[in-house]
Amino acid sequence: MLRRAVLQTFRQGLAQSFFKRNAVSLSETTVTHQTVETSDEGGEKFVSTQKTGDESGNTVIVAPPEFRFMYPEFLPDPAMETRNRLKEKLERMDMLQRRSVIEIPEFYTGSVMAVTVSDANSPNKFARFVGICIQRGGSGLRAWFILRNVVEKQGVEILYEMYCPLIQKIEVLRLERRLDESLLYLRDALPEYSTFPLDMEPERRLNNLVVPINPLKVKLRPRPWLERWERQNLQGVEDLNLPQRFYDKAEKVAKPWEKYDLMLHYRKTIPAEEQEKIFAEVQSQLQQQELKRKMRRRRGSDNEQ
Amino acid sequence: MVFHKRRWLVRRLFFNHEQIRTMSRVKRRTTHPPYWHVLKNNQRDDEKISSDNLCFVREVIQDKYKNKSPIKGSDLDIEKTVWDPKTKRSGVIARNIGVQHMWEKDGKKVICTVLHVLDNHVVRYVPPEEYAKSVIGTKMFKNRKPLGCLVVGAEAANPDRFTRQYCSLFDEVGLLPKKRLARFIVTPNAALPPCTPLTAGHFVIGQAVDVYGKTIDYGFQGVVKRWGFKGGPASHGATKFHRRGGTIGTGRDKARVWPGQKMPGHMGSERRFNRGLKIVRINMKYNIIYVKGTVPGPTNSIVQIFDTILPRRRFTEAPPHPTYFPPEDGTLPQEDIWDSSLHVFGSPSISV
Repeated sequence: MLRRAVLQTFRQGLAQSFFKRNAVSLSETTVTHQTVETSDEGGEKFVSTQKTGDESGNTVIVAPPEFRFMYPEFLPDPAMETRNRLKEKLERMDMLQRRSVIEIPEFYTGSVMAVTVSDANSPNKFARFVGICIQRGGSGLRAWFILRNVVEKQGVEILYEMYCPLIQKIEVLRLERRLDESLLYLRDALPEYSTFPLDMEPERRLNNLVVPINPLKVKLRPRPWLERWERQNLQGVEDLNLPQRFYDKAEKVAKPWEKYDLMLHYRKTIPAEEQEKIFAEVQSQLQQQELKRKMRRRRGSDNEQ
Repeated sequence: MVFHKRRWLVRRLFFNHEQIRTMSRVKRRTTHPPYWHVLKNNQRDDEKISSDNLCFVREVIQDKYKNKSPIKGSDLDIEKTVWDPKTKRSGVIARNIGVQHMWEKDGKKVICTVLHVLDNHVVRYVPPEEYAKSVIGTKMFKNRKPLGCLVVGAEAANPDRFTRQYCSLFDEVGLLPKKRLARFIVTPNAALPPCTPLTAGHFVIGQAVDVYGKTIDYGFQGVVKRWGFKGGPASHGATKFHRRGGTIGTGRDKARVWPGQKMPGHMGSERRFNRGLKIVRINMKYNIIYVKGTVPGPTNSIVQIFDTILPRRRFTEAPPHPTYFPPEDGTLPQEDIWDSSLHVFGSPSISV
């Protein structure tokens, strides 16, 4: 069977495959968006599945647009020279496999998280660290995030790779966002803004549908700083109170035309159509995993009762 | 070994140059194929033919190639040859589709290159006596026993884009013309008949392979990037001497510039082998091989994979010889095969 399948792909499928590319498509599938009513299920977050139809009437699953913020590491690196669809697909399969074992929750820069890692040098072989997520990046299995905390007056930052199998547990203690995508300025801020108790309890979310934005304006220590914060358009920082010459130099060095550069933004992002395809591919599996976890939690709470 | 070391030390006392003088006059790159190659790509411009005629041409091509029945493993007349440690098997043409990070069972991260084995088919087998008479064969087997040559093609394409002479290479066999061709030197007992498919199953988990590719083309590069020179000081009054080479000779010995003097020039796009790379994972469904380490060349470039020649990492047991064939009784092989040292993603987290 495999022999036939393998050889058929090689021989008969070949003629079809390159003709598909060249031939004019007779039925161009158009996705018609139909309004779907979202409903809360007992206060739990309900991720709506929009089922849209094409001309032939087959349902095409489209993942909700929030997915690109909840799971940004599923999107590949936009650099075209190193992109390959097959490799990205295989990587996504591996990521889903890992996610079936451990829950990697939704989090954003500014959320307070606790990560438990298996560590041979620790007394109980497991090391738990609590901190605020100041930056996240990477795509695919290389996705990472940095947690920052101040422990005994010493600022500590740890970079965790999200899909590393040494990680036992990732908990989000406080899910919120800040006014900036990167909180590296906390390194130059007063220590109370980066201090979180190591035995912090997870906080309940008031509203499961919306992730709150914390409009906190952080106070920075007096200069010298690690970076020129006045040049970075930070929203989450109090007035820097610098002499005017700093702001003049910042204006000289600034690139205000970049916000009009469409090609620059195009090259830095994955096109919307491709994003839809990617998330449609992973969406059903992610939802299944969510449901399983919810059922396990309910069963666990029932057993306790 | 000790004798050689002493000779090298003695040489150092008398010469103060350490230069690569061998191969310095050999041309390392060309932009054209060898003269004995057949013209490959269609030279004429797109002819203005009507859409009806275009459809007809496509139908003809389909009729020519599509209605061939798929070859069964039992139909191929392969002599049952025995594997011995001196056998050289065929290699495989693959595409380097990127790099993926994986983890070992102790939590250590490994960088693995993902190689996609394309639709390889054997085009022709040239027996040793005939190959020894060819241009390359005479050079290769000057003082040793001649071996056979297996011509393998990968990546089938529309015959329209190739010349008739190029398509004729595949006509005798009844294959769609392939974009890439490669020659693999094989011992006669590893010969394969034409039209044999080569897949990822040709290799064994845990074996070491050599990967040949053309390195990344950096273009014309200066001496700092190309040879790792330190250049000059960035400040302290250095006038126009930041990334230059500096002196190129002494003036005393030989009173000229030695051949092979390191200077700016074209960097990259050279044949290189990365030897002894371990295969850590094979995906039979998509024909993917994960190899521990990196291979020469940029992403999405074509590479060739061979069984390793390194003496300590060669095969001790027989691999799929002469190549892998799916089992006759139709049982499917395991889709995703992992090496025992690697942590499988679906398995529980590692506790060290």
